[in-house]
Amino acid sequence: MHGYSKILPFVLSSVAIVAVPEIAAQTERGAEVVKISCTSCHGPGILGAPKLGVAEDWKERRAKGLDELVKRTIEGFNQMPPRGGNVNLSDADLRAAVEFILAGLDKHAETPAPAVAERPATVVEAKPAPKPTQRKQPVNNFNRLMKPASKRNPPPAADGIHDPQNAGTTILQHPKEAFSPMPKSNSGNRVDWVKALDAGDLNPRFVLDDPSKTAVTLDLNIVREVKGSMPDVVYPHKQHTEWLDCSNCHPAIFIPKKGANNISMAAILLGEKCGVCHGKVAFPVAECRKCHSKNKPKQ
Amino acid sequence: MLKKRTNLRRRLAWMISAGALAVLSGQAGAEYGDVVINNYSDQAGMRPAVFPHWFHRIRFRCKVCHADLGFKFQAGGNDITMLKIIDGEYCGACHNGDVAWSVENCDLCHSGKPGTKTQVHESTLQKLVAPAGK
Repeated sequence: MHGYSKILPFVLSSVAIVAVPEIAAQTERGAEVVKISCTSCHGPGILGAPKLGVAEDWKERRAKGLDELVKRTIEGFNQMPPRGGNVNLSDADLRAAVEFILAGLDKHAETPAPAVAERPATVVEAKPAPKPTQRKQPVNNFNRLMKPASKRNPPPAADGIHDPQNAGTTILQHPKEAFSPMPKSNSGNRVDWVKALDAGDLNPRFVLDDPSKTAVTLDLNIVREVKGSMPDVVYPHKQHTEWLDCSNCHPAIFIPKKGANNISMAAILLGEKCGVCHGKVAFPVAECRKCHSKNKPKQ
Repeated sequence: MLKKRTNLRRRLAWMISAGALAVLSGQAGAEYGDVVINNYSDQAGMRPAVFPHWFHRIRFRCKVCHADLGFKFQAGGNDITMLKIIDGEYCGACHNGDVAWSVENCDLCHSGKPGTKTQVHESTLQKLVAPAGK
C-alpha cells in the first residue's frame, strides 16, 4: 500500500501529461463534427432540436447524463436521425461532439451573466474578452484554394444552396450516406459512377416503371486522333449506352459519322459537345486521362 | 470553321479572366451537378427548386429523364410549371405519389435559398464565370 502511494503521484502526473493534448485534439474534433453535422439543425433549432449555446433547451437533456445523450446521438432521437444522419461518424466522434456542445453551454452561461447585471458600462468593457477564443483562420494554410476533404459532400442543410430554415431540407438524403458504398474518385461527386454501376453498387432503372428492363449497350470504341503530344481519345460507346439513349447524342450533339464532328477542348469547356454532360454531371474535364487514354506510338 | 474556333477561344479566354477568382471564392459546397431551377419560383414567392442529380442518378439512368421524359440538357431550359407536373409531365411523371413523393410535399423540392439563381452547381462553366450561389 505504502509502495503504491509513493508511485501514485508519479503515475497521475504522467497520465495528465498524456491526457492534455488528447483532450485538446478531442475538443477540436468535436468542434469539427458539430460544424459539419450538427449546426444545420441545432443552430436554428429545426424540428424542435435544442439550440446550440442555449442552456435552457438542454437543461432537461443534460440531466440525463452524458452517456445517455451520446447513446441518443448514436441511435437517433425524436426527429434526429442516427448519427445525426452522417454514417461516417464514429462513436468517439459523436461523443466528442456532444461534449463540445455541452462545454459550449457552460461558456455561454458564463458570458451572458454580466449582460443581465446592473452595470451595462462594464459589459461594454467586458465584450472584447471573448475575441481571443475565436481561432483565426490561418492565412498560409496548405492548398489554400482547394476545398478540404472535410468540406466535401456536406449534408443538404449545410451545402450553401439548400435553405436550412426550410423544414423539408432536413428530410433529404445526405450525399455522404448515399456515396458510402460506392468507389471513390478524385473529382465531381468524388464517386466513380461508371465503376459503381459495373460493380453493382447501384441499380438505376433503365425504364421508369419497369425495374426488370436492362440497358441495351453498344460495344464500339471510336478513336479520335488529337493534335500535339496529347494521347488520342478513345470514346467508348459501351459506358455511354449504359446510361444514355442513342437519341441523347445523335444527331443533335454529334453527327453519327466518323470525322464529321469538330470537337475542341474550348468547346467542351463552354458546355458544348462532350461538355454538354462532362463538366456538369458526368466526370469533369480535369480527368484528362479518362478520355485521352491512348498514348501515341513512340517515334 | 477557323473563325468559329477563334471565337470560342476568345469567349473562353474572356470567361477565364473574368471569373478566375470566382472559383476560388466559391464557398457553397453543394454537390457537383445539383441543379437549381428558379425560372418562376422567386417571382411566385416560393423557394427555388433544387434538383439533386446524384440522388436521381442512383435510381435512374440518364436516359429515363433525358430521352423518355424529354428533359433537355440545359438547366432552366425546360419550361417546367406546376400545372405540367400535376398533369404528369416532367417531374410529374414520377412525383405522383406512386413512383416518388407527390406534389403536396412542396418544400422537399422547393428547398433552395431564396434568390439562388438557376445553375448547374460546380459545373465547369459556373466555376469559370460566376461564384456559386450568388
